[in-house]
Amino acid sequence: MDRECALLLPGVCAVLAGSGSSLPDDTSLEKLLDWFTGITEAGGSLLEACPCLLKLISTVVHNAASDPGVLSFALRLTGLLAATEESFKTIQEHSVLNEVFNLQHWQEAGLWEDPCLRIGWIQGLRSMLQHPKALSFFVQSEFIDPLLQLQTDTSLFIAAAANQMLAHILLFFQSVPPGVDKKEKGDGMTPSSADYTAVVKSISGYLQESLVPKESKNVRQSLQTLKLLALLLAQAGPPLRDKLLQTVGDSLEELVAAGSSELTLPLMDVILSACSSSGTDERITRLLSSMLNINKPADLIHAAAAFLRRGHHDTVHTARAVRILLLPLDIMTGQTLLGSISTADEHQFSVVEQLKSKSSCISMICVCLSNTPQITLTPPDVLPCLPVSIVTAVLSLLKICSGSSPSSSTGCSEVSRNVIGSGKVQKCALEALGTLTSSPGAKERISEVFTVLIQYLENPDSDPTVLHKSYQALLKWTSVCTDFSFITDQLRHDLVEVVKKRVCDMRWEVKDSTVEFLGHLAGVCDSIKAAAEGRDASEALLGACSTTPLLREALQDSESYVRASAISALAKTLTHRWQQGATLTEEEPEIVSRLLEILSQDSEGFPRRAVVQYFISWYSSHSPPSSSSSSSSSLLMQSVRSVLSQGRADLDWEVKVHTLVLAELLLDEAFSGHPGYKKGSDSHHASPHAYGVVSEQAYTLHTHTATHTEGAESDLAVVVEQGVVSVLLSGLVDCDRPVALKACRLLITLRETVCPLSLGALDASAAMATVSCELPGCGWGREIIKILKMKKSDQAKEEDIADQRGLNGAEEGGDGVCVSVCEALRSLGLDERMEVLTQSSDHIHNSPLSLLQDILTASATHTKPGEEVIVDCY
Amino acid sequence: MKLYCLSGHPTLPCNVLKFKSTTIMLDCGLDTTSVLNFLPLPLVHSPRLSKLPGWVSKDGSANLEKELKECAGRVFVDSQPEFCLPERELLDLSTIDVILISNYHCMMALPYITEHTGFTGTVYATEPTLTIGRLFMEELVNFMERVPKAQSATCWKNKEMQRMLPGPLKDVVDVWAWKRSYSIQEVNSALSKVQLVGYSQKVELFGAVQVSPLSSGYSLGSSNWIIQSHHEKVSYVSGSSLLTTHPQPMDQSSLKNSDVLILTGLTQMPTANPDGMLGEFCSNLAMTIRAGGNVLVPCYSSGVIYDLLECLYQFIDSANLGTTPFYFISPVANSSLEFSQIFAEWLCHNKQSKVYLPEPPFPHAELIQTNKLKHYPSIHGDFSSEFRQPCVVFTGHPSLRFGDVVHFMELWGKSSINTIIFTEPDFSYLDALAPYQPLAMKCVYCPIDTRLNFHQVSKLLKEVQPLHVVCPEQYTQPPLTQSHRSDLMLELQPPPMPYRRCSVLNLPHRRRYERIYILPELANSLVPSEIKPGVSLATVSAVLHSKDNKHTLQSVPKPPPVAPSKKRKRVLEEPPAVLAPKTLLSGAVPLEAFLATLQKHGFTEVKVEETADGHILHLQAEDTLIQLEEDGTHIVCDNNEPLRTTLRDLVLRFLQKL
Repeated sequence: MDRECALLLPGVCAVLAGSGSSLPDDTSLEKLLDWFTGITEAGGSLLEACPCLLKLISTVVHNAASDPGVLSFALRLTGLLAATEESFKTIQEHSVLNEVFNLQHWQEAGLWEDPCLRIGWIQGLRSMLQHPKALSFFVQSEFIDPLLQLQTDTSLFIAAAANQMLAHILLFFQSVPPGVDKKEKGDGMTPSSADYTAVVKSISGYLQESLVPKESKNVRQSLQTLKLLALLLAQAGPPLRDKLLQTVGDSLEELVAAGSSELTLPLMDVILSACSSSGTDERITRLLSSMLNINKPADLIHAAAAFLRRGHHDTVHTARAVRILLLPLDIMTGQTLLGSISTADEHQFSVVEQLKSKSSCISMICVCLSNTPQITLTPPDVLPCLPVSIVTAVLSLLKICSGSSPSSSTGCSEVSRNVIGSGKVQKCALEALGTLTSSPGAKERISEVFTVLIQYLENPDSDPTVLHKSYQALLKWTSVCTDFSFITDQLRHDLVEVVKKRVCDMRWEVKDSTVEFLGHLAGVCDSIKAAAEGRDASEALLGACSTTPLLREALQDSESYVRASAISALAKTLTHRWQQGATLTEEEPEIVSRLLEILSQDSEGFPRRAVVQYFISWYSSHSPPSSSSSSSSSLLMQSVRSVLSQGRADLDWEVKVHTLVLAELLLDEAFSGHPGYKKGSDSHHASPHAYGVVSEQAYTLHTHTATHTEGAESDLAVVVEQGVVSVLLSGLVDCDRPVALKACRLLITLRETVCPLSLGALDASAAMATVSCELPGCGWGREIIKILKMKKSDQAKEEDIADQRGLNGAEEGGDGVCVSVCEALRSLGLDERMEVLTQSSDHIHNSPLSLLQDILTASATHTKPGEEVIVDCY
Repeated sequence: MKLYCLSGHPTLPCNVLKFKSTTIMLDCGLDTTSVLNFLPLPLVHSPRLSKLPGWVSKDGSANLEKELKECAGRVFVDSQPEFCLPERELLDLSTIDVILISNYHCMMALPYITEHTGFTGTVYATEPTLTIGRLFMEELVNFMERVPKAQSATCWKNKEMQRMLPGPLKDVVDVWAWKRSYSIQEVNSALSKVQLVGYSQKVELFGAVQVSPLSSGYSLGSSNWIIQSHHEKVSYVSGSSLLTTHPQPMDQSSLKNSDVLILTGLTQMPTANPDGMLGEFCSNLAMTIRAGGNVLVPCYSSGVIYDLLECLYQFIDSANLGTTPFYFISPVANSSLEFSQIFAEWLCHNKQSKVYLPEPPFPHAELIQTNKLKHYPSIHGDFSSEFRQPCVVFTGHPSLRFGDVVHFMELWGKSSINTIIFTEPDFSYLDALAPYQPLAMKCVYCPIDTRLNFHQVSKLLKEVQPLHVVCPEQYTQPPLTQSHRSDLMLELQPPPMPYRRCSVLNLPHRRRYERIYILPELANSLVPSEIKPGVSLATVSAVLHSKDNKHTLQSVPKPPPVAPSKKRKRVLEEPPAVLAPKTLLSGAVPLEAFLATLQKHGFTEVKVEETADGHILHLQAEDTLIQLEEDGTHIVCDNNEPLRTTLRDLVLRFLQKL
């Protein structure tokens, strides 16, 4: 804790002790507590540093008029202070502890009703219970019963906190079994075995009693108890675990037998936790078997799914769970997934009955579907059928869903009609189908998969999200495909037609997913080449139909998302050509001019961002200009210049950041040969955060000893001529922090390359100084000039060398000003700027000092009415 | 109550309901699918059609070269198209009192019913139904009359001949009932019999029943009908829609508590969701135009076209179709577009409120104003000078057998960049295209049928709960092509009564009550006696007077004072004196109390036997039986009148007398 804070703290304590009502906002206390916790965790002793806290606690606790919020704060603070044995003793000496946690006192004062206080009590005790002394205090004060009561508190937060606390007590102290560690830890650290035994006894007694609901209204208590039990069993060591299992075993059996739907999942959690910790306990295995045999089909399916999710390697039960999950699919699709020896007829009958109700049918089928990918990956001896049959079943289900195929098992039309046209089932099935690509043998069905997916894309009634999922599944299956010979002309024709139709769809979401699909397809084709024919996936699927015209049309779309997707899809489609250094096609210049038009005129940010990214990917994948594609290169360089100048002036900060990324690529290319140039100061982290939060990546100053080479001068001139320097300079004075930060980093890199400070200002090569760039007389140019002038005058004062050469190298002419790049780079004070920029914008307001000051100011204004305080809220 | 079913077409119904003393025809739809068997009527001479080879049977035994032409493996009748009329032999059409029309699609057979049949009744329809119905009829007449076809083929209809013909001609039934189109005079005469009604307006028919149209939500002025007497209610549901399109929403609640609900006019495309189809329509249209092709939309001149235009109005900008011309060609195009704008009160709420702004309710006004949509009466005249391609043309008739559409088929059919988009559900598109084969043009079938689907109708029926449902037999099983879709049929309890063409159904509802009025003075003379709390009875002696299906009880006229006369003869001629009414008994004989009474009166040996209707008491000593039943008591004893009287009096003690 720094001195300033330590000085302010007593004042703050006085404010809090007075009344909490004058706090600047309701998060102040939390912030204060966070700060204290931080200090404690760092190993500092709060009690020593600020003895006033203890006084504060006792004042607050004794003041009947204290705000419940402040009381709760005091309780939690006490816990925090008493977290170490030493300070615990100190506090107990002041006899504060008994008063603070005195339940009876709070109940009598009528304050216990306030949930604020109850949670403070729990959390205070929770932070305190870190050593045996605290446990003794806890046991002696007989807090266990009230804590158990709080487990079913009306407030969910309190109930959950109580559960956590109970688990904490049992688990935290269990590692010190009586008599074992006494020597190592010393007497003081070991909880008296009597204390721990007492706690274990009362909690396990409680568990045993409250596990089985006596009346239907007690279900919540059972639910909470099961949650607690799951928490305990997951972490308990053998002695505690065995004790617990022994205690609750009967109750668990009773619960399993009762088969309450509400408790199925929590119960399953407990049993599975027990299973994974205890291994092959016979009783638990038996319980698990009973859970997988309950006769409510919907619950059973959830239990089986929960079992499968845990990934146990218990062949018998896995086989059982798999059969449970496959049965509804078997019934619905008529695919014999379970072989001829089906599950007990009675069970099948009740499943069919359940499936006849629409809502339960949909939810059951969805659970089954979402587990199919995992089922196919289970060992073959556990599966009742080949994994490929499951793919077939999912495909049949998809056909049934679209109404195009009858359910093949007789008498189940009543069941299958429930899923006809159900978007939820369709989406689930498509998602499952997408993940089933990795199932063994799945590729056998690829032709059928494509047929079904194309049908879905074709179906006029398909929901936009269903179409999206269909595209995704299609891409996944394409990406695992190595041989496209299965694609018949008919299939190809159908796909081409449907894609052409969907890019003209009425709904923009559909157009967007279609355009996106075309882009991704081009991306897939980069990674995979159809082995024999040397064709890429896009060509294999869409044949001679070029997607570029479709995408060009989408550039005109009225919806900005579609335009943006079309731009990035175009980039993906053309990447391959760029990489190969192919000559310019006729349409490329047209595309480029349309893109530049979007960049300069589009009212929405997304397409403009996409345009800059298009040029980024073109620039980063194009081959060196020496190759045959000089026309392509010159078009690229020409347009990059426009992109830089337009992107620089954009209103959207992301466009500006992208423009800087493009500028960085140009810098990389220009200076990559220079030993002083560190490529990619942060380019690998260039993707900006969605909300403008730039990661606190430490800036590494480029120190280098080698002198810069001669070529740098001409390269610098090129870079200036391309407009890169203008972009960087304008970025530097941008009001958006991520933009300024990025620009600043790049400028520093540039400075280190062309005129490193280490060489001294005067050593700068005269030749380098001749490279200058023009600053406009308005906007960012004026800002830069202002900074330069200010620096200049500072320098003049310090060095007393007045009136050197006007503004170094600057010749004032007309509106604009020409400055030497090197001079500018040196004089802009980039390093100081960098320091300021790397700090987050609210760093001042988040400091503890600021918090303390706020509290004091607020209370001061509170006592002087009439003056309003304006608190910055972020 | 009887229902005569004159049409087998579920969406173009023609049924006659005999209810009380009235004979009511419900709709008179004209089945126009018969025209698919005919060659198209080209507007300008078509060398292709005129060069089609005549049909001769393989063995040469049947030669109908002149009447039948062969095109792409199918045989068509080369004659003016004919329509399949509603059955006219099942009952005498002159006995029909009224015809209730539910929408303009279901009245196209009206001239065949009202003209030359002796029909003297009234036709009831809403104003938009009449106006647009008239447009449809005029258009039809115009289509037929502007390209007169001299030939009228009849030889092929000969039964012997027809048997030798290839399908589908071989299989068509009732070919002799097929008739050519009516004339404009017949249309005018038929429509002059229409009387306009508004929604929920009640029309009395001969005092016997009341009919009232309800909004059905399907098209401008479309209605369902309620036919009710004091104690019975029959609902007639024809083309109805729950979708939010341009017409006023459907009135469902008024259909509640029907004894019989006659259900017709469900969607013909249960698997084609209108929204999906509309999307399909737009994307295919945009796709064709982008590729430089033309789009042909064969459609009716009113109805779905308004929704299509509204949808396109929103779509063309987003799809960059702003410069593409849209043409609507029909002899009644102008009237249809204009009329739609003036029927504000028949429109959905959204459109109604626009009128108060004031703005035209349909956005096609703006399309016309900005020259994006142009309409012409025919391809001749102005259209030919302004025609610009690529374009979108809306024109009739959807059967592709007559109207301007025939010309565009000939013009655009050969090029694969053009597309024909079928939006009307009435005709199979493959059949419609048959005489144009081979065809290079792309075909898209997106039928937009906004009428109720099976899901909606089952929900509706669950809500309004009619006692009995009558429907076309097609609705009681899944569609032939999708026999696995058990969700595409009506499943009701009790099951609906199916009908087909020429069925005569005895509707299961039995009339049990009739309202009778009682005159005040007669009512005044009644002396009610209370038989149980809240229920009083009185005997009435009166004369029942029935006139105009109204029944009134009047006091019995007092016999005129007997004129003093000595002639006995006169006395005999007087009406017989009114007999005093017998006392009426009511109540039940309680067994236990009766047995106790018998005991008291010395009947000790009583054996009680339970029967289906009550009890039999056997007085063994007297060898007498007393049968106590719900509606009667019999005392069976052998010639022992005093005993019978005694027993009777004992029984009477327990009964109330009126």
